[in-house]
Amino acid sequence: MINMNKNLYNENQTIEEIKNTFHTAEIKLQRESRIIVKLRSDLIPPFLSYAKNYLAFNHLAHFSCVDWIEDNEFELVYLLYSYEKNIVVIAKTRISRDKAEFVTIKHLWRQAETYEREIHEMFGINFTGNDRLNEFILEDWDDIPPMRRDFNTIQFAKDNFYTRPGREDAQDVRETITKKSGEKIPDFAKEFSVRNLK
Amino acid sequence: MREKETTLYFGPQHPGITGNMMVKLKVAGDTIVKAETHVGYLHRAFEKLMEQRTWMQSFPIVCRICVPEPDPNEENLARAVEEIEGREVPERAKYIRVMVLELSRLAAYFLWMGGQAGTAGLYTVPQWSVGDRDYILDLFEELTGGRIYHMYIWAGGVRRDLPGGFPDKVLRTMDYIESRLPEYDKLMFENAIFQKRAKGIGVIDKDKAMEWGVVGPPLRGCGIQHDVRKDEPYEVYDKLDFVVPTYEGGDIWARAMVRRKEMEQSISIIRQVIEKMPGGEYYNKVPNPLNWYVPPGETYVKTESARGEFGYYVVSDGSLKPRRIHVRGPAYVHGVSLLENILVGANISDVAMIMNSLGVCPPEIER
Repeated sequence: MINMNKNLYNENQTIEEIKNTFHTAEIKLQRESRIIVKLRSDLIPPFLSYAKNYLAFNHLAHFSCVDWIEDNEFELVYLLYSYEKNIVVIAKTRISRDKAEFVTIKHLWRQAETYEREIHEMFGINFTGNDRLNEFILEDWDDIPPMRRDFNTIQFAKDNFYTRPGREDAQDVRETITKKSGEKIPDFAKEFSVRNLK
Repeated sequence: MREKETTLYFGPQHPGITGNMMVKLKVAGDTIVKAETHVGYLHRAFEKLMEQRTWMQSFPIVCRICVPEPDPNEENLARAVEEIEGREVPERAKYIRVMVLELSRLAAYFLWMGGQAGTAGLYTVPQWSVGDRDYILDLFEELTGGRIYHMYIWAGGVRRDLPGGFPDKVLRTMDYIESRLPEYDKLMFENAIFQKRAKGIGVIDKDKAMEWGVVGPPLRGCGIQHDVRKDEPYEVYDKLDFVVPTYEGGDIWARAMVRRKEMEQSISIIRQVIEKMPGGEYYNKVPNPLNWYVPPGETYVKTESARGEFGYYVVSDGSLKPRRIHVRGPAYVHGVSLLENILVGANISDVAMIMNSLGVCPPEIER
């Protein structure tokens, strides 16, 4: 696994610099070359700008969102990478699900526009300042954003698609074949399951 | 007088890429004024599906994210689960994984070579390269049972040990592929038509490349020497001897030559892996897949795929199923924001070439 005994000079120095600039940040060294920074949502744009311009984290590796529906919050996760220091900084913040709005960072990295378009479409988060939050992956979507935890995939499939006659759900295909052709097909899963073999 | 602008729909089916993606072009004459990427033809909601499946059931899904090169996906997810759990992997499994990853890189480069030459009008190369790629797929078939999707790398190790005599077969295939490379040089890389179509076309600005999120061969084609295998060695890449080739120019030609040189490196890595591969277990026992609770945690893992940094952001909430798996494919940046920018000013006939040289793969943009 990951060698934690390695020289962590770069990591510790970066943590020190972030601590001195953002006093309220919760910083954790996850492992070699991974630093997690939890910030208040209003500090995210200045932090990203600082990390890019002063700490040489010039590669926006990823921008993700996690739906913590039990806390009624969305977690926005920015993954920045520094080629110089060889460190990934995972900057996280939480926003309320009821007021799903955040500011764009496309002025810092232009590829952020694409990530924001996806998150807007999949989670319904509005990024103010991004004028291109149009249709990206989905077409003519009028349901709730599909990556939210409360979107019920099974119900959606039931409402929009139908089963072929004779293949209604929860029906064993073997039974249908036996009924139609009279041929008996053994239930391999039942016969050879781990429990039966024991 | 300004020329009249016309809208041209390039795609969704066209020779530039593997998959379906449309580029809406605004053209004046045959020069592109504006380009807009439209995806959505291949959305299969994999990330949502995985939230409703167990960890083990996610492995057959992730490999389908990228058709030409499925193995980095499996390796990423396996490593993410191992990292969150703190699970050890046997040394032999790590070597086997590197062998599979490098074989898949070679297969992906052969497919790229066919596509790249095909877009320049050299139709012999695709016939050859797809044929040669099949020898690698034969190896995969023997090793894993599948030619394209392998579902071979699992959390804890790999699914099966190498079959008897397999290393020799791999070495023979490598000898064959190595003997074929000079022929490809004559047919494609030294071909005046290809050089004329590739040099100075689709140039990426070297100063901006890192900031724009360019990774993989396009980044190394700008003369910037970065490779995840060297920057953050995973599996056993730190024990292997290989170089990261770079080329100056940032054009299609530089990217093509980077890939051509990397093929030699991959062959060398595979030979080293087979020479150094230790014996022993290939799999550490994992819990019953239907009762496998991964402890809460998060991680970001990345591999160097044939198209660049392939990353997985994985979050577990301690339940049977993943909380979130978000995939970062290199084409996500290459195919949308980068492509839209470097297409401006290009010629219509170069669109497919530029797209192919960036390694745009729509299935990983929309997943």
